[in-house]
Amino acid sequence: MFKKILFATSATEATDHAARVAFNMAQAYDAQISIFHVLGVPTRGYSQVVLDVKTKEKVVLDDEYIAWVEEEIKVHYTKQLETAEKTEIKVAIGFPHREILRAAREWKPDLIVMGGSTGENEDSVYKKSMVGSTLQRVAKVAPCPVLVVNRPAASFWGGMSNIVFGTDFSKASDAAFKFAIKLAKSLSCELHIFHALDIGNVHTGRILTQDEIETKIRESIRRIRGRYLPDMGGIDDYNFEVWEGIPYIEVVKYARENHADLIVMAHHTQKTSGEDTRLGSNIEQVIVRAGCPVISINR
Amino acid sequence: MPEGKFCNKKPVETEEELKALLGDTGGKEYYEEMKSLDVDSDLLWKTIQNTLKSRLKTWLEICAHCGMCADSCFLYLINNRDPKQVPAYKIQSTLGEIVKRQGKVDNDFMHMVMETAWAKCTCCNRCGMYCPHGIDMGIMFGYLRGLLYQQGFVPWELKIGAGMHRVYRAQMDVTDEDFVETFEWMVEEYEEDYLGLEVPVDKEDADIMYTVNAREVKHYPEDLAEAAILFYLAGENWTVPSKGWEQTSLAMFAGDWAACKLQVESVYAAMERLRPKRMVGTECGHAHRATVVEGPYWAGRESGQPPAPSIHYVEWLAEALREGKLKIDPAKRLKRPVTLQDSCNYVRNHGLKDVAREIMSYIVEPGYFKEMAPNKEHNYCCGGGGGFNGIGLYRPQRNQALITKRDQILSTGADLVIAPCHNCWDAIRDLEEEYKIGIEWSFLKPLVISMVEIPEHIKPQE
Repeated sequence: MFKKILFATSATEATDHAARVAFNMAQAYDAQISIFHVLGVPTRGYSQVVLDVKTKEKVVLDDEYIAWVEEEIKVHYTKQLETAEKTEIKVAIGFPHREILRAAREWKPDLIVMGGSTGENEDSVYKKSMVGSTLQRVAKVAPCPVLVVNRPAASFWGGMSNIVFGTDFSKASDAAFKFAIKLAKSLSCELHIFHALDIGNVHTGRILTQDEIETKIRESIRRIRGRYLPDMGGIDDYNFEVWEGIPYIEVVKYARENHADLIVMAHHTQKTSGEDTRLGSNIEQVIVRAGCPVISINR
Repeated sequence: MPEGKFCNKKPVETEEELKALLGDTGGKEYYEEMKSLDVDSDLLWKTIQNTLKSRLKTWLEICAHCGMCADSCFLYLINNRDPKQVPAYKIQSTLGEIVKRQGKVDNDFMHMVMETAWAKCTCCNRCGMYCPHGIDMGIMFGYLRGLLYQQGFVPWELKIGAGMHRVYRAQMDVTDEDFVETFEWMVEEYEEDYLGLEVPVDKEDADIMYTVNAREVKHYPEDLAEAAILFYLAGENWTVPSKGWEQTSLAMFAGDWAACKLQVESVYAAMERLRPKRMVGTECGHAHRATVVEGPYWAGRESGQPPAPSIHYVEWLAEALREGKLKIDPAKRLKRPVTLQDSCNYVRNHGLKDVAREIMSYIVEPGYFKEMAPNKEHNYCCGGGGGFNGIGLYRPQRNQALITKRDQILSTGADLVIAPCHNCWDAIRDLEEEYKIGIEWSFLKPLVISMVEIPEHIKPQE
């Protein structure tokens, strides 16, 4: 299932949790892993000068500098590289999201692994001249699933055995469901299909009574059963659950209480520029908060 | 040493030479070699005799040294009114002197001329508007750069840039295959958001042939997708050529006249091959100047026009909005203080000030558009024009030059600068990086896409 993993990294502490997951997975599933790093963002118009992502200094690119960055990456991942067998290191110059997507298009990985947001750091070179985070932009259009590890993945021990698939019954969620099923089957995982009833939804314009909530919960359970169960042949260990609340909080809570080691959700196609650039959608909030890796599917 | 390994009078002709020159990090060896590069005075004088025509000769002669041009030059103003920054002085002490001495100048002199031509003039042509005789120092510096290039006295990055055009017919190492593949990739990324989106490559007899800046392909291909989306939403019958798609010309900045001709002829050949009704270029200023304004003369076209009528992106966009091909959702218009950067190359030099403002009237909520002062044809250069942005050697001078634009923007109170020109866009990005005044900057395409109405049949389902 995972034979080629593209691990996109800033080669800093911010992506160390993701590194652990990426290398563990590579080992567990005997996958090739490509460590991909965008070392600099173009500056000075057409010139050869780039802003180094780490030092934030302007450097003139040449082969020597690129070799030096590759060496730095090797040093940063010394321990992981000792155990990993099929690895390669690639560095690129450009806007990170674009170069990650370009690498994915060329190499065709089964999975892209990324760290969480590099933070609200205004100085971050990655934020130069682009609105929205690298993660948002990659997740929106990536040709394969994107696995994100934002916080230390406490319950992740190198393999997947317990998956939570969070659904909002959208078409995009159907694609995520297909992936979750495939994953659960091929790795013999326990699968939780979870829906959160959004009671904070302002569109309803009024407060729901508990009876109404519980009716809706029952309806949602039936909906899960009707929509997903027919395609779940071969999966023995599963569970359907619907909770009410703020969806992303409920997903994170549910995953935590069930010791999930992976959350799978759909990334809805949505604009990444303009006013809605803050991590706003449910999946983005789940990514930020979850204690386990999150896989985002867009197609 | 007459000719260096990197620094010499020979243009870069092959990929290998290009890579070797790029390998000389920052042009260290290149500039070292330049110190002992010989001046071929005979060649210089012969070239002047063959190419210095009556207009430039007259301009050199009739300059009354009145100094009216001084205050017109932002580089003079921003450099403490240094008399050596007065446009008339700058050209008289360089080109004027070379002509007077019939080309008998030495290496030191040529170093001074090189710095003057690339770090003291952005070829913005503003001085030409204020000279009582209409003498345009920008044009003269463009000519002088040609003489310098021929002698090998050209900044490292521009020797590379001109070489890129010679090798790839593009300002960066982007091949024709890369271009088509990247455009198709971008359309794939967006086709689910805009049902039916496509990029018609090499379509004959289309209404529009679109040409771009290689940097869009290399670094921010979203721009290609955005162009495709807007043409599609406007219902245009458009195409891109698989060859001859690069509209820009670093060769023009470098003074590599032969490469200028090669480059622009590749675009004209595409027009002749595909016979579009019109050519529309991307949001780039110098590309428009190179391909639409000056190019026909480089290519020796008697009409003085490209093979197909050619317009700038702002002209197409204004037309599409005016005619209702693109409809803006009034609720989504920009409701924040916005200003507009007038690109010298198509506003001062090609009269497009009104269409640029017409676009503002559609996309900015009334009351929020703030003009810079001065503006339109009187606007100042962004500070990075004419190749200034990319030259490492003159970076401190360039950063100093950005102060004019910084202060112009600050006094508008705007926090968004619309810059429909790659060079201006870069310079404004750099000035934010350098001086951190808290502004955003944008091309037109992403802004229009964020507010344009999308017909039902194009909207994604569900």
